[in-house]
Amino acid sequence: MDATQQLQQKAREVQEKLGPQIDEAKKNLSDFNSRFTSFVRERPGVCLLGALTVGFIVGRIASRH
Amino acid sequence: MSKSSGNGTHDNQRRGLFERVEHISSSAQELLTEARDAVSDLKKTLDITSRVERHPYAMLAAAVAVGYVLGGGLFTSTTARLVRLGIKVAALPLIKNELMNLAGSSLAGFGASSGSDTSDESGTPSETTRSSAV
Repeated sequence: MDATQQLQQKAREVQEKLGPQIDEAKKNLSDFNSRFTSFVRERPGVCLLGALTVGFIVGRIASRH
Repeated sequence: MSKSSGNGTHDNQRRGLFERVEHISSSAQELLTEARDAVSDLKKTLDITSRVERHPYAMLAAAVAVGYVLGGGLFTSTTARLVRLGIKVAALPLIKNELMNLAGSSLAGFGASSGSDTSDESGTPSETTRSSAV
């Protein structure tokens, strides 16, 4: 078995190991995205005000440094 | 006679005061209505709700940016650092494309040269030997 085949086999093993985990992470991320966007769409004022406040605080901290 | 005239002036004063109060209250009412109209017009113009509906992340980022500027973070070293990082991130795809093109062309050149080498090994004269022979 030459080096290329060994590499291919290793890559396949890694893919088999990490594949399900990556799929699960993708699914979780997609779930979080849909929940977050629906939350923002339900309460636009609160979210914008919160974002404004966060930006203000960060700007305040940045201006002190 | 003087009493009645005094009452008359009092009445006139009261009436004037009432008129002024009424005028002020009507002015305040008008101002309030105008302010409400202006706010509703502004709401219609900005149309924040539908904008958030369409681009939630972009609107949140814009709100954070506005807050950052209001917080006085615009002309700071942190902003300069962020801008530099943003430029680098924006330039990354361009650099990547250039590198890929460079690698592709060099690989193609390498392939061509190795192909000519193999032709040399097989016995056919290479480009340089042919040209020197001519």
